[in-house]
Amino acid sequence: MTLSPTLLLAGLERTLNALLARDPAAPSRLARLTGQRILLRLEQPALALAIHFHPGGLDLIRPDLTDETAFAEEGFDAVVELDAETLGELLGGASVERLMFQGKLAVRGRTHLLETTRDLLLDLDLDWEAELARWLGDIPAHSLAEGLRSLSRWGLRTRQELCADVGEYVFEEARLLPGRHQFEAMRDHLTEVEIATDRLEARLERLRRRLAAPETTP
Amino acid sequence: MSASDKHTTHFGYQEVPVDEKASRVAHVFDSVAARYDIMNDLMSMGIHRLWKRLTIERASVRPGHSVLDIAGGTGDLTAKFSRMVGPRGRVVLADINASMLRVGRDKLLDNGISGNVEYVQANAECLPFPDNTFDCITIAFGLRNVTDKDAALRSMTRVLKPGGRLLVLEFSKPGNPLFSKAYDEYSFRLLPKIGELVASDADSYRYLAESIRMHPDQETLKAMMEDAGLERVEYTNLTGGIVALHRGIKL
Repeated sequence: MTLSPTLLLAGLERTLNALLARDPAAPSRLARLTGQRILLRLEQPALALAIHFHPGGLDLIRPDLTDETAFAEEGFDAVVELDAETLGELLGGASVERLMFQGKLAVRGRTHLLETTRDLLLDLDLDWEAELARWLGDIPAHSLAEGLRSLSRWGLRTRQELCADVGEYVFEEARLLPGRHQFEAMRDHLTEVEIATDRLEARLERLRRRLAAPETTP
Repeated sequence: MSASDKHTTHFGYQEVPVDEKASRVAHVFDSVAARYDIMNDLMSMGIHRLWKRLTIERASVRPGHSVLDIAGGTGDLTAKFSRMVGPRGRVVLADINASMLRVGRDKLLDNGISGNVEYVQANAECLPFPDNTFDCITIAFGLRNVTDKDAALRSMTRVLKPGGRLLVLEFSKPGNPLFSKAYDEYSFRLLPKIGELVASDADSYRYLAESIRMHPDQETLKAMMEDAGLERVEYTNLTGGIVALHRGIKL
């Protein structure tokens, strides 16, 4: 159906703009990008996406693939061509220069725009406590946030302690598995045994040759 | 067409004198202006936003372009176009109805959209702009209410720059007969009810349903656009043909 990609894009745009609106650092970053346009072209699958920045966030527009004027490059500040895998790497934090030198990414126009855009989207730091405060009021929101924070600290600590306890039981008390030191000592012994057997084998081979030699000499 | 036919036109299912249609349409929109947006969301279950979004995608508007949004109503398209054309471009929001234009202007100003937007109260049949003025013209759910559609299409073609495009988003004829039946039930029974409950105005919404049925179907509108001098006219059916987006280019 014609409207499904439009619906997906509208949803994505709304989500991104809602997230940007909750990041206290976003307005100054957006102000630097306002009015810029980036065209993102994916080779496989063939997709194109135009990103327009404005002070309130970004507009995502799917240019019409059948329409050559929609792709006219003079209308964009930067044109980025990449494949799906590279897009993943880019969002995963790989450096733009490295991808460009590897030939996976082609950027024409103002290349720094791509980096700024990625930073804008990846460095989103939501002030969720302020958002909670808007709904619940300052004091309940703060105590709720403190509660959540101490819960997450407790969760982290518990996880670390559990790992340490289980490790100690398995390696030291029940001796179900060898520890790393034991394992390495064992590996060293095995290597020694391997070398010794190799030497023995070579010696035996030499003896065998020496025993066989007198019979063949006249 | 007989001589007497020329003096009447349809207003929904009624025949009214040509001179009267504009004022009757004006009455309908005066009465719905205040609740226009909320009614659109209710009646289309929010899908009208997607229809309009697709129109914007197909408009391929760039910074510096001038765009005319005819029958722009409460400024849904204008808001986005204003951002897309940037400070070097301009967007003209035109509507024949002063109430709708006022609601649209207030809404846009409240949302901080100004600077490159102009407001013009104009009749689409005789647009008050010089020839070859706009890179893109859109008319979303407005052509249906125009008395002389051919004259309006000619007038829009005239003010388009060569290479410019006209986008007509309008109700059309669903292709599937079963779906068409369900759609009829919805628009003739449920729609006036919703109109009565939310906007306390069943008549205006009955007119809406009737005027949709009287509007030319996809192929007829395409032929009308070609007659007006547009080329490469094509249309996309949306939501099973309830709405069609026609696009023509002036070459």
